[in-house]
Amino acid sequence: MTRILFSDKLDNCIARWRAAGLTVFGPVKTDTLSSYAAIEHASDFDFESVLPDRSIKDLFFPQTEPMLRYTIKKRAIDTEDFAPPNDKRIIFGARPCDASGLAIDDSLFGWDYKDEYWIQRRNESVIVSIACTKADDFCLCSSLNLAPDSSTGSDVLLRPLENNKGWVVEELTDRGHEAFLAIAELLQDGSDPIAPIAAVPEKFDLDTCVAWLQNHDNFESKFWKEISMRCIGCGSCTYLCPTCHCFDIQDEGDTYSGIRRKNWDSCSFALFTMHTSGHNPRATQSARWRQRIMHKFNYFPGKFNVNSCSGCGRCSRQCPVDMGITETLQKISTLQP
Amino acid sequence: MKIVDRHDEAPGVRTMKLEFQEQADHELFKKTFRTGMFGLYGIYGEGESTFCVASPETRTDYIECTFRQSGRVTSALANNDVGDLITFRGPYGNRFPIEDFYGKNLLFVSGGIALPPTRSVIWSCLDQREKFGRVTIVYGARSVADLVYKHELDEWQKRDDVELVLTVDPGGESPDWKDKVGFVPTVLEEAAPSPDNCIAVICGPPIMIKFTLISLKKLGFDENNVYTTLENRMKCGVGKCGRCNVGSVYVCKEGPVFTAAEVARMPAADL
Repeated sequence: MTRILFSDKLDNCIARWRAAGLTVFGPVKTDTLSSYAAIEHASDFDFESVLPDRSIKDLFFPQTEPMLRYTIKKRAIDTEDFAPPNDKRIIFGARPCDASGLAIDDSLFGWDYKDEYWIQRRNESVIVSIACTKADDFCLCSSLNLAPDSSTGSDVLLRPLENNKGWVVEELTDRGHEAFLAIAELLQDGSDPIAPIAAVPEKFDLDTCVAWLQNHDNFESKFWKEISMRCIGCGSCTYLCPTCHCFDIQDEGDTYSGIRRKNWDSCSFALFTMHTSGHNPRATQSARWRQRIMHKFNYFPGKFNVNSCSGCGRCSRQCPVDMGITETLQKISTLQP
Repeated sequence: MKIVDRHDEAPGVRTMKLEFQEQADHELFKKTFRTGMFGLYGIYGEGESTFCVASPETRTDYIECTFRQSGRVTSALANNDVGDLITFRGPYGNRFPIEDFYGKNLLFVSGGIALPPTRSVIWSCLDQREKFGRVTIVYGARSVADLVYKHELDEWQKRDDVELVLTVDPGGESPDWKDKVGFVPTVLEEAAPSPDNCIAVICGPPIMIKFTLISLKKLGFDENNVYTTLENRMKCGVGKCGRCNVGSVYVCKEGPVFTAAEVARMPAADL
């Protein structure tokens, strides 16, 4: 016997959560790129797509975020911080790869200086993931020691029943338990058959790739040039990535008043590392692509003991020139270490 | 912070002396600042720029910074006059461990606009001169006009407890230039300071660092006794924004001060 949330009760659940002061988010179809967005009814959800085009990162580390407002007066500067939002949220229907992505970036934003915007949002959010029963050719979680039903980063994991009847509920954290207390009476015990999780074939051997990346001799391998020849440096891969976290700080305003913002930035851009002198440590697109791969699979795990990739495949799925992490690592896995 | 003094060092290069407005900020700075650390200096509406604290840890009543006016923020900073306010975040990063240099000879090698970080270490040591052995400073710039801290160069030249070797790149000399002409690494090799019981602190543009490291190796310096500071582009200064990384190293957190041995472990093509 397991605890089940039947699909026809979902609308009630949403109403309960909303009444309890939670904003409910979930995968939503839009005219442009689909994303995780606030919803009001169960019918607003899109559980059919493999995953939303935009990652869950948007909800925790928005593309642009005001940090402070400044006002310049004669011989005085007034500033007022934008406090991190403290609205309580439940994200229902996160994909396990997106939830894992959050757990990965927790290590970065919680390292040394604590990023209060990230941490506050994380503390105020309940992540309810749904195990994947569908995958596409771009999915690669299984190649990264994760799976379509990984629970990393989730507060509750739901396993879909056959015929979209509902989900088996697995509460994983206190935060998840608390959120599901509010809907406890809408859950039922049952033994309905669980739908098989998606098959995501392993695309490369990660250990082989990492060994190649860690070999200093390969840093200047001609492979980097060959693999990134068609990269146009648009940065889409980094923007859609659930774990890419690089940002810029910019002031928006004039001499007298304005707002200091934290904006997404990308290691794909030439200006990202350009020194004032004109010297650029990563002057070519191949050096920048190498940085992205090295950072995710060599440097980040070296520092935080986890790969900075959760295998969502968005970088390949949305790349305008059909590049991506999968192709790069697949090729690396065939090279001599 | 309030600008209490400013003057030009060279064409387009300005030094500003800054004083804290809040006692608590000043106390914290005095407690935490050590030579080698950096800060983010800013003007609201324009942004922030990263440079070293050019004043030594032995003089913490104020902060001095020296910068070249070249971009949006540095131009805006330069537009400010004595009495105006600018922002400062810091001090960030690690430091030159000068206590470890006690009793040793010191060699400073610096090029162009990289004298400010070196100067912070130089004065931190000269202000407690008795704790160190011989002090040699090799400094060069593209041209005579581009030499910064000219008044301090004069001062060091006059001291008999400091040996100063000045040079300008070939073609950068003026008719009355009496010092060396040649690139810093070449002049360094000619000066041939002894590596015995000696710590070298080098700072300069990446290309100068690269060739100076080779010269120091030739002179017999152990790369664990050679220190440098990496001046990468930064935005946050606190190990988050991702742009200062060289290999797996966050320059803002683990640096900016590194030994040559540590630099040698970084991917050279990423420097």
